[in-house]
Amino acid sequence: MFLTRSEYDRGVNTFSPEGRLFQVEYAIEAIKLGSTAIGLKTNEGVVLAVEKRVTSSLIEAGSIEKIMEVDKHIACAMSGLIADSKTLIDKARVEAQNHWFTYNENMGVEGVTQAVSNLALQFGDDDPDPGAMSRPFGVALLFAGVDEKGPRLFHMDPSGTFIQYDGKAIGSGSEGAQQALQEVYHKSMTLKEACKAALTILKQVMEEKLNSTNVEMCTVTPQNLFRMFTKEELEDIIREI
Amino acid sequence: MASASVLSEYKAPISAHFSPYDFNGGTVLAIAGNDFALIATDTRLSQGFAIHSRECPKTFTLTNNTILGCCGFHGDVLTLTKTLAARLQIFEKDHNKPMPTASIAAMLSTILYYRRFFPYYTHNVVAGLDEEGKGCVYSFDPVGCYEKESFRAKGSASAMLQPLLDNQIGGKNQNGYTAQSLTSTQCVALVKDVFTSAAERDIYTGDNIIISVVNKDGIKSEKFPLRRD
Amino acid sequence: MAAPCVELPKGGFSFDNCARNARLEQLGLKFPTAYKTGTTIAGAIFKDGVVLGADTRATEDTVVADKNCAKIHYLSDNMYCCGAGTAADTEMTTQLISAELELHRLNTGRVPRVATANRLLKQMLYRYQGHIGAALVLGGVDVTGPNLYSIWPHGSTDKLPYVTMGSGSLAAMATFEDRFKPDMTREEAMKLVRDAIAAGIFNDLGSGSNVDLCVITKDKVEYIRPYEVANIRGVKQRSYRYQRGTTAILSSEVKKLDLDVFGTEVKHQPMDTQ
Repeated sequence: MFLTRSEYDRGVNTFSPEGRLFQVEYAIEAIKLGSTAIGLKTNEGVVLAVEKRVTSSLIEAGSIEKIMEVDKHIACAMSGLIADSKTLIDKARVEAQNHWFTYNENMGVEGVTQAVSNLALQFGDDDPDPGAMSRPFGVALLFAGVDEKGPRLFHMDPSGTFIQYDGKAIGSGSEGAQQALQEVYHKSMTLKEACKAALTILKQVMEEKLNSTNVEMCTVTPQNLFRMFTKEELEDIIREI
Repeated sequence: MASASVLSEYKAPISAHFSPYDFNGGTVLAIAGNDFALIATDTRLSQGFAIHSRECPKTFTLTNNTILGCCGFHGDVLTLTKTLAARLQIFEKDHNKPMPTASIAAMLSTILYYRRFFPYYTHNVVAGLDEEGKGCVYSFDPVGCYEKESFRAKGSASAMLQPLLDNQIGGKNQNGYTAQSLTSTQCVALVKDVFTSAAERDIYTGDNIIISVVNKDGIKSEKFPLRRD
Repeated sequence: MAAPCVELPKGGFSFDNCARNARLEQLGLKFPTAYKTGTTIAGAIFKDGVVLGADTRATEDTVVADKNCAKIHYLSDNMYCCGAGTAADTEMTTQLISAELELHRLNTGRVPRVATANRLLKQMLYRYQGHIGAALVLGGVDVTGPNLYSIWPHGSTDKLPYVTMGSGSLAAMATFEDRFKPDMTREEAMKLVRDAIAAGIFNDLGSGSNVDLCVITKDKVEYIRPYEVANIRGVKQRSYRYQRGTTAILSSEVKKLDLDVFGTEVKHQPMDTQ
């Protein structure tokens, strides 16, 4: 008897006969509902820019945080079910601090991403580590940082897969944004150009009109490490677009 | 009154309790140079007045440019070095690079302090090249306090060796003399001399020394005989 | 005339401070440790005499205090005694008994017997209930022939053809048990005792450095020290000579001594021999 998709999309620990884990696929779909986030890597550093959906004039825009500091040298942007990111960011922060405590050196960006990926993969485990859930996380993350290999950018999705990128967009506008990134990106891009490009692309894919309150942007550089852009700094760049 | 003083004469029976530690002798010496570092250890393993082994080096290769000198209670030496080897391998697989010397020192400190109230009875020195290729030495107490130094003696004959090193390498107590950094060959000769002298007076130091030198070409070891009584 | 303020010892030990010291120890005071000759000493009887042997290391805890000390002590012209244990005790005990044996010889006009020395030693050690930490190997030749004893700190003794004492006694005894045979030649016995002491030197950390031997026969004593240097010190690789003036002079001062110097002439005078 042929079993329909609906019979295989309940549990996270059962493959469909075609070899698919529907719950994981649905979780990846959930990202496409999220706000757009863009990461762009240059030789000088990495930039992360995210859209904030300020759906009511009564929302305190500053309370929406979609870029987090993981360690002095690593930032993380997110899209999807933002609440789910809390445990993942917690894990990343603990892991980075633990590494520093034990080895007296900064943890690599790949190492942090790997650690978070391990947690993201533990859904449905019988004996999970603290923080793991019974379902896949509904959030995708962009890890931007600098380590001994230079500036680095990683993308991780709810399946736990992580891939290194020069430029990556996630969220509802990701398709268009990714296309635009590919057109604008070149190896010798300056960080300043990258910041401008990130905001330009974000402006193109956002439904609302881009302004200094509905975007967040940060850079991570070997000199200044993690740095958030202030409202004024954002306005300066927006004016140039 | 009298009965009270009589009763006080009675004491609880003294119970013979298990002692988890022993001391198996051994001396460790580490020196850092400009572009090299070395560790020398004797090869005698003893207990009380008995020699267990004349061929038991206390130098352990940790990575291509880091070595460890570890002596004290041999049971703890074995466990600690095994733990270190495992942790180094895990780190290398996790982070796609061998652990740098400074990180090994930091990690060893945490491993030791983790056992703050049931310590590993071991004296440790880590020697190797730092990330700029310079020689470095880190010395530890048994509960994880550590310090970067340029030369250090640990273990059984450390109190005999250290003052001599202070004088010969540190240039201490020499009027009108400033210490010059020694070459690898000079250091090896000095190490042989100080161990020869230590073996004269310390009953737990003898048989042989193994001198391991780390430089950019890797680790080279040489054996040198000491007195065997 | 005023009474002397220092009373001269009348002989024996002073126990004046025992109570005070016991109290201090109870309060946690650490007393100084005595030199111990963590030692290998041994002796064996051969066809016409006795060979005594000893190592030459003296230790203070784990540090070598003396690299070439003598552990074979003179008792009389026909008797020697090896000592292990507290260095002061072995030294003083053998000297004391040596003096007693000499008096005995003068009083009796005979060569003292080894059995006599054994009695004197064990009676003294027993009297002090083990507090005199002397473990001895006593050997000599008298009118009865070669004799060999081991004497324990509490005063028990064994009369045997081969004996060992000290921390290296097991290593040395292993050698004897393997290779001792009665009526050996002098050379065989010397080789065997050397090997027994060498076993102690190399396998016991309390023993070390050289082998001393003492061969006692009817009319002759040969005290060979060292019989063999079992361990030669390594050759220095570098020079450790310091430049003149390396030791800092912190301050110096020249003082004039106000003395009247005068000469005295001494003339030769013949000795009064009348």
